[in-house]
Amino acid sequence: MLKSSFLKAVAATALTVSTWASAHAVDLQFYFPVAVGGSAAETIQELTAEYVAQNPDVNIDAVYAGSYQDTVAKAITASRGGNPPQLSVILSVDMFTLIDEDLIVSFDDYLTSEEDKEWLNGFYQAFMENSQTDGKTYGIPFQRSTPVLYWNKEAFKEAGLDPDVAPATWDEMVEFGKKLTKKDDSGNVTQWGVRIPSSGFPYWLFQGLAIENGVILANSEGNQTNFDDPKAVEALQYLVDLSTKYEVMAPGIIEWGATPKAFFEGQTAMMWTSTGNLTNVRDNAPFEFGVAMLPEKVQRGAPTGGGNFYLFKGGSDEQNQAAVDFVKWITAPEQSAKWTMATGYVAPRPETWETETMKQYVEGFPAVLVARDQLQYAKAELSTYQNQRVTGIFNDALAAAITGTKTPEEALKEAQQQADAILTEYR
Amino acid sequence: MNSMGQTFDRFLNTLAAWALALIWILPLAYAVWTAIHPAAYEARFELFAPLTYDNFVKAWEAAPFARYFLNTFILVTMILACQFFLCTLAAYAFARFEFPGRNVLFALVLLQLLVMPDILIVENYKTMRLLDLVDTIPAIALPYVASGFGIFLLRQTFKTIPKELDEAARIEGSSFLGVLWRVYIPLAKPTYLAYGLVSVSHHWNNFLWPLIVTNSVETRPVTVGLSVFSAIDSGIEWSVINAATLITSGPLLIAFLLFQRQFVQSFMRAGIK
Repeated sequence: MLKSSFLKAVAATALTVSTWASAHAVDLQFYFPVAVGGSAAETIQELTAEYVAQNPDVNIDAVYAGSYQDTVAKAITASRGGNPPQLSVILSVDMFTLIDEDLIVSFDDYLTSEEDKEWLNGFYQAFMENSQTDGKTYGIPFQRSTPVLYWNKEAFKEAGLDPDVAPATWDEMVEFGKKLTKKDDSGNVTQWGVRIPSSGFPYWLFQGLAIENGVILANSEGNQTNFDDPKAVEALQYLVDLSTKYEVMAPGIIEWGATPKAFFEGQTAMMWTSTGNLTNVRDNAPFEFGVAMLPEKVQRGAPTGGGNFYLFKGGSDEQNQAAVDFVKWITAPEQSAKWTMATGYVAPRPETWETETMKQYVEGFPAVLVARDQLQYAKAELSTYQNQRVTGIFNDALAAAITGTKTPEEALKEAQQQADAILTEYR
Repeated sequence: MNSMGQTFDRFLNTLAAWALALIWILPLAYAVWTAIHPAAYEARFELFAPLTYDNFVKAWEAAPFARYFLNTFILVTMILACQFFLCTLAAYAFARFEFPGRNVLFALVLLQLLVMPDILIVENYKTMRLLDLVDTIPAIALPYVASGFGIFLLRQTFKTIPKELDEAARIEGSSFLGVLWRVYIPLAKPTYLAYGLVSVSHHWNNFLWPLIVTNSVETRPVTVGLSVFSAIDSGIEWSVINAATLITSGPLLIAFLLFQRQFVQSFMRAGIK
């Protein structure tokens, strides 16, 4: 930091032209969260530094802001305190909250040319669902993910299943699961068939089941939920049945964070979790594994997840334009490929997958394609106004059904009533 | 019979103490276990599992911890020094001086104990911005220096000090501040020690406010470094997290072990009065 400003000072005195440039440089502040291990923070800092080096008329201060929750807290506090960042990466589901708080502006005012509109259409539609509302674009996809099914090929072989074929339907998942569930002599399960974690944010993976069963849990205006739709009830019944009726999944709430570990240790033969885990699984699974799309009921389906770029209120037009230019650059194929390889997030633009770097990466690790190909069936992650409260209610309902304190129907009906009470004022 | 009853009673006490101690130490023991073994042994407990210090190296390299430690050290020292100074003077005034509005003012100080600092984050941020202190260590410290708890604790301690000592010193010609310095502060040492421990450990562990009010490596404390490891999107590496946790809490743990007798005694004395 000190060193770079020192260098800048030296350069400024040496060259009058650069004095002019740095005097007129646009200053941007950019908050980013980190939700993957390893060197994600460093990669963002490096990319930002590269951009600043190429564009001497912009200064970007990339600020690490903790987890997604911390980042949104920091951005809201700073905005209310009169010191908003120009850009921030925040969960795509926080879009309605940020609109409601009147903290963000849409990108459309700064994307006016035909070329710009073309660029906006270059993102996967599944990712844009969480980024647009009312015909306006508030988010630009950046670190996005989607859940997939991982399976242990050795366990499949042992159970007499074809190790190269993952279950393609709900029924197959149960059927395979029954063969894969192993018990010891005293009747204790040593290996479960499947593991769908339900701690913390159960709505996300449950949404996979709901979409597969043909129901969308919230509308794109963010003011209406369909929690008690009979198809949602059926999906939840299936999730509960996996433990109680079919006995292929451990009963009760299943820990999200411990799931990859349980998979590595052979406590489960299949798991549902984020594509963000790909690199982790590749590095740590002591057996051959496969990656597949989530199984279908009436159709394939999965939610998207992860974070978007948001443009904050309070910047000058010049700053906002510079921020938009930076977003365009960092989501461009070469940078996006670098980011995807460093983190495991799904590259949000088809053109990124056409780059040489990406092609080589895919060749060495074809599993990453599964997530990309699943995107055509993916839908928006559950997001509404008052998102924290509404998803909170929904999570509680799911937990109540999973632990057996309420039937799926009761739980979802109550959740729908509570969500309605909150959302009526936004209709 | 009576003595047998007593032995039994004692046995139960010891048993309960051991049980509580075990429950207390388990997370720490698990942290140590995972931190010194490769990731494969996170959930497998084999006595002769290979030892490694890789986790510590990995954790240390994941964030600029050296700088963060320096920042945290400056931060807790600054807060503690300011708290001692302000709370001592305020507590002395509340304990020994009659002035109009004293009770109302003291009630206001007590009221501060009821307010969660998190509620005030936006207001505090505005103040810091007004003072042009955003992204500095004093900005992290300032909202905490006038501690209601500290004032209350010291006032109670000062009140228990016999007035005769105060009067004797006054007769000897000591000024108000002289009495404070020579009589009150020395006699309140255990309270200072106990309060200092609570304050240091609280601010050592504080996370949200420092994260929000600072932006750069030069000002952020260790807890911000620790948060890099909460990687919910990609699977949690317990061994590295625990190594990092041990690194960041290590200095406090060591300090506590070294001074534990003094700490426990001062807590007891501060509490009994």
